[in-house]
Amino acid sequence: MNRRPLVLATALAGALALAGCSGSGSSDTSKAELSVSGTYMPQPVSADMAAGFLTITNKGGTKDELTKVSSTAAGQVTMHSTTDGEMREQSSFAIPAHGRLVFRSGGNHLMFEQLRQRPKQGQTVTLKLTFAKSGPLTVEMPVKSATYHPTTGN
Amino acid sequence: MRKKTFAAAALLAAATLTLSACGGQKADSSTVSAVSQESGGSGPATVLDQPWAKPGLVLTDTHGKKYDLRKETQGHPTLLYFGYTHCPDICPTTMSNIAVAAQKSLTPAQRADLRVVFVTTDPGRDTPAALGSWLKGIDPRFIGLTGDFKSVQAAARSVGISVEPTTKDKNGKLVSVHGTQVLAFSPKNNGGYVLISDSATVDDYIKDLPKIVQGAKP
Repeated sequence: MNRRPLVLATALAGALALAGCSGSGSSDTSKAELSVSGTYMPQPVSADMAAGFLTITNKGGTKDELTKVSSTAAGQVTMHSTTDGEMREQSSFAIPAHGRLVFRSGGNHLMFEQLRQRPKQGQTVTLKLTFAKSGPLTVEMPVKSATYHPTTGN
Repeated sequence: MRKKTFAAAALLAAATLTLSACGGQKADSSTVSAVSQESGGSGPATVLDQPWAKPGLVLTDTHGKKYDLRKETQGHPTLLYFGYTHCPDICPTTMSNIAVAAQKSLTPAQRADLRVVFVTTDPGRDTPAALGSWLKGIDPRFIGLTGDFKSVQAAARSVGISVEPTTKDKNGKLVSVHGTQVLAFSPKNNGGYVLISDSATVDDYIKDLPKIVQGAKP
């Protein structure tokens, strides 16, 4: 289970996850089993910078960690958390066992810099996600409108 | 203060969802945003009991000219936002939401009357030219202001928005702090009377802008 109380959120989520699982599935030590959904990039204002969002779901009984994101479309992709108005670059993000890592607007986000060209709505950007334990995943991230919001679709 | 409550609610919701995930229920990120909205009232726009005075900011616009915020926006519905162009997520999304909503929900006369003012919190990188080309990609009518960071910070504080210079932590990772609310000022009395959070979607702005340009409550 998650024992690194680096931030309050991790500690709290970890404690609750532990409590929630101890009754039924505490002996589940299956490998991390990752899948990616809800990927999108809002069409950026320029080729200087873009944001990207996605959700990584872990169906396995072992936690994993997203350690690197890269893209053929950008010179650099970094990962950021936003808590209480403070945006902070992170070198990795935990993916809890039987849990999810969510990047969404206003919260965690991927930041693309040095884009080869300005991504346009309708195009896709290819990403490679690297993890501490699981093998890398390649995902296609569609470029949506600049005002796109997953709950409204606009 | 309110911002902190939102964050705490979201955190608690996230933790609760992690718990439910163990029980086999589906954790849904939309539930998280719904919870954080509920704790703020009816929606992303909050009408303030005590309107803020418009900050007495005099900065440089994207043409390199002096811009007196109070003088230039006097009697105009005005949306004020503090942000920076090297901001991938909230800053461009908020500005794009306003641009698209103004195009869709306002008459040409209302659009001409509306003043959207983007004040940079990163004047080192956001020169008038850089700010100008960034805003042109969103809406050429928007006004971009740059200048002394201390003045920008003081102006933001005077309307309850906290901004800090972007710094690097001990591992060389970037840390930046800026309040992400849009403050709407009434054309009637120039008071800042509506605070719009970063959870506002383009549809929220389409609904609220026609009221805001008249100084009415959204």
